[in-house]
Amino acid sequence: MTLTTTRSGAAHAAPVKGKDRSRRSEALWGLAFIAPTGLGLAVFYLWPVLQTAYFSLTEWGAFGGHTWTGFDNYLRLAGDPEVGQALRNTLLYTALGLAAIPLAIVFAALLNVKGLRGVGAYRTLFFLPVVTMPVAIAMVWRWLYNGDYGLINHLLALVGLDGPNWVSDPATALYALVVVGVWSSLGYNLIIFLAGMQAIPKEYYEAAAIDGAGPIRQFFKVTVPLLSPTAFFVSVVSVIGSLQLFDLVYVMSGSGAAARANPAFPRLQTVVQLFYDRAFVTNDRGYAAAIVMMLLVIIIALTVLQFRLQRRWVHYG
Amino acid sequence: MRKWTRVGAGVFGAIVALSACSSGTGSGAGTQAPKEASGPVTLSYAVWDANQKPVMEELAAEFSKANPTVKVQVQLTPWADYWTKLKAAATGGAAPDVFWMNGPNFQLYASNGVIRPIEEQVDASVYPKPLVDLYTYQGKLYGLPKDMDTIGVWYNKTLFDAAGVPYPKDGWTWTDFQQAAAKLTDAGKGVYGTAAQLGSFQEYQYNTITQAGGYVISPDGRKSGYDDPKTIAGLKFWTDLITAKHSPDLKTMTDTTPLQLFEAGKIAMYWGGSWNVTEFSGNDYTKDKVDVAPLPKGEKQATIIHGVANVMSAKTAHPAEAWSFVKFLGSKQAADLLGKKGPIPAYTGTQGDWVGAHPEFKLQTFLDAVSYAAPFPVSKNTAAWNEAELTQLTKAWTGEVPVEQAAATLAATMNDLLAKE
Amino acid sequence: MAKRVHAVLIPAALVMVAPFAWQIVTSLKTLSEATQVPPSLLPSGRWENYGRMFDLLPFGDQFLNTVLMAVGRTAGQVLLCSMAAYAFARLRFPFKNVIFGVFLSVLMVPPQLFVIPQYQIMADLGWLNSIQALIVPGLFSAFGVFLLRQFFMSLPKELEEAARLDGAGPVRVYWSIMLPLARPGLVALAVLVLLWSWNDLFWPLVVNTDPEKMTLSAGLASLQGQFQTDYPVLMAGSLLASLPVIAVFVFLQRQFIQGIAHTGIKG
Repeated sequence: MTLTTTRSGAAHAAPVKGKDRSRRSEALWGLAFIAPTGLGLAVFYLWPVLQTAYFSLTEWGAFGGHTWTGFDNYLRLAGDPEVGQALRNTLLYTALGLAAIPLAIVFAALLNVKGLRGVGAYRTLFFLPVVTMPVAIAMVWRWLYNGDYGLINHLLALVGLDGPNWVSDPATALYALVVVGVWSSLGYNLIIFLAGMQAIPKEYYEAAAIDGAGPIRQFFKVTVPLLSPTAFFVSVVSVIGSLQLFDLVYVMSGSGAAARANPAFPRLQTVVQLFYDRAFVTNDRGYAAAIVMMLLVIIIALTVLQFRLQRRWVHYG
Repeated sequence: MRKWTRVGAGVFGAIVALSACSSGTGSGAGTQAPKEASGPVTLSYAVWDANQKPVMEELAAEFSKANPTVKVQVQLTPWADYWTKLKAAATGGAAPDVFWMNGPNFQLYASNGVIRPIEEQVDASVYPKPLVDLYTYQGKLYGLPKDMDTIGVWYNKTLFDAAGVPYPKDGWTWTDFQQAAAKLTDAGKGVYGTAAQLGSFQEYQYNTITQAGGYVISPDGRKSGYDDPKTIAGLKFWTDLITAKHSPDLKTMTDTTPLQLFEAGKIAMYWGGSWNVTEFSGNDYTKDKVDVAPLPKGEKQATIIHGVANVMSAKTAHPAEAWSFVKFLGSKQAADLLGKKGPIPAYTGTQGDWVGAHPEFKLQTFLDAVSYAAPFPVSKNTAAWNEAELTQLTKAWTGEVPVEQAAATLAATMNDLLAKE
Repeated sequence: MAKRVHAVLIPAALVMVAPFAWQIVTSLKTLSEATQVPPSLLPSGRWENYGRMFDLLPFGDQFLNTVLMAVGRTAGQVLLCSMAAYAFARLRFPFKNVIFGVFLSVLMVPPQLFVIPQYQIMADLGWLNSIQALIVPGLFSAFGVFLLRQFFMSLPKELEEAARLDGAGPVRVYWSIMLPLARPGLVALAVLVLLWSWNDLFWPLVVNTDPEKMTLSAGLASLQGQFQTDYPVLMAGSLLASLPVIAVFVFLQRQFIQGIAHTGIKG
């Protein structure tokens, strides 16, 4: 106590100017600390956003240079069936991915069962796809999905079923892709839900048990509502991630000319894949910029929508 | 004013020269002003095939022996990125002095003034005429053909023997081919007579379209030929094979491409290029089981011929040296060397070594085909309608729409694109 | 109860593992074996498929590029993001909230929006096909700043205040007090950046197209362009490319899982 007083007394001994100086020095240090990241973000992220917005109003020539074309790219966008199809594919993929989130909750709940043995091993196995390179995952699944020689159809043949060419058949391709997406992100969602469940105080379950609720009822009456903020977070992340799908589909649909010869390609192509093609394959960068501006608007709109809807189903304890 | 331009040109030239040999050893040579042609000059030479890089370097060394003041630096850019990078370099005015050109891209570069026409009178009759025409734009020749490739039917002798079908003979016809395909197909074993591939028109559709008497693009490059009944017959050749199940359907060929099906013994006849010899002679399965025959005759006999040419940048700082290098690459001496280690040289009469390298295959087939070879269809913006070809014809290949309808849509789309050129 | 739970979890775990098992089996087959019907479960042991990877791709170079990219980005982000995060969490400076808001706005924007201009910057600098092109734009991360700021804010202030009273300046407080305290947060960020960098495809695919300068993910994707559907070779390649990060995961499992769990902590 006395020590503190002497100290602050000493500080007061220095005139107000000293305090000003230390404030100023703190401010300078603060700015210095954020400067590297701040400048980096400005040069590589913020300025590019403005440039992309500007590029979306230009047309690029075969050998460089771009000319101002106003809203031509956006008009073209509105009438381009390829863009419409890519958008529908991406939204359907996103919606189905969202619908699969409860699966992660169920598995997290199973892993959260008290006294279950082998939790660590299960967790590792579920998590394996999360750390595996998406390009590799896509190649492996493309092989599993092979119509004539794939493992899945071999297994179906054992029970007398004739499976389709999963990723080359327009009727099944997108759903096959969703399965891979769900498979590879299940571990990620599961870990987050598990962390969320472990944060739920035991008292809630005890109270529910006293009221005579069994494990299933406890799950629906306690776990699900208290997990809703986590579920909200997972769904926001999942939607943003799904809307930007590229790696998996780039490999699964085949790249280059081979992709366009894939009958399922129109049903697989995502918005970001189309953007990649226009920006870096056909060098139609102005149009590519317009495509990605459209994506920005959609992501913002859907995220805002989710925040609006959360009031209806998210319970904050 | 003039002085300033000259200084500017000098600085620019120095930059180009510096960047040309930035990774090289003799940096002293590169800083010479461009006008001093007597001093050492370094030419950059861009190629895309890693397999051919050593031969190209050998050729460059050979050229420097005769022209001690000129050094050539071979720059390899892989195919996947070659055109993107070249476009970027040409945009920045820093295209390599000499580079490889192909048919689909040629007119784009010529019409935009990125490459330099050949001014000297050269004897072009030593190269196949379709290749000379391919690299001629508005009456001017821009490049000397370096190599060439034609198409043949690679067939699996083991499958022919098993089905008791005689091997294809010279002069065989579409009907012979279709009958052989039917007999070779064995659904129970998952074996098909042939594969009607969609992704590579050079080996498939362009050949049958020409054989049927149709055309892809009118000679003046203004009009699509896809609405011509004969062109459509050339497309139907393939879709009929799929309908008859003598070829896998498009979905199956997407899951496992015809090349792999052929190498796994699931396809008896594979339409492929002369370049496939490297692949088939190296593959454990195909090396002693396959051989090659000419394409079957339709209304007439035809194969698509294509070849790479060496061209010069319009903005090269050393036009004289660049031309003498291109001329050397187009010479018999260079072709003789190329034929020993690379693809088929374009220079007539120098292809013996190439044929001799693999006596296990009847490679002479590919050379004989030159006499009835048709040019590769191109226009100023070939890439644009190449995409349309795939997008529209996929629907015909799956059977979603009739061939006639898909071809009509394609013709309309292509005509729109050509009108914009 | 436990039995019934296992009855669900064991088949599910099989579904998670089976693709990897089939990948390994196929990687040791010849193309003819792989296309056999019905399939053989035991391959003939064609190890050449792995050897071929080294002939077909400059695999060693690509491995090194990927390591340099992942390590460079990780080290850079841990340092730069923690500096900025500390400043936002603890220091007072003008326009702090405005600047933080601007940082956060970067998080809202899909990364594809940055790509064309970033590519132009790299081209202008002559950095296409270089290691620095892989690393530099990835040194700056709004996400990292945000994650670590939350972490710093949750730390007790006492130690820091005591050090300040002892006359330590912001640099010393940051370096000697805050960084050691924030270790779990730094590790979480490091693990995430390492994982994302290793597996990143879009940017490396665009910016480095020379095979010797590619990363493993882009190299692997290009392998498909060349070999289309030669599945045994593709399986060997995809296994080799993804194995390093899987190995790191097995050793640092706890850190990985905590790192991921951290991203889920609402803040």
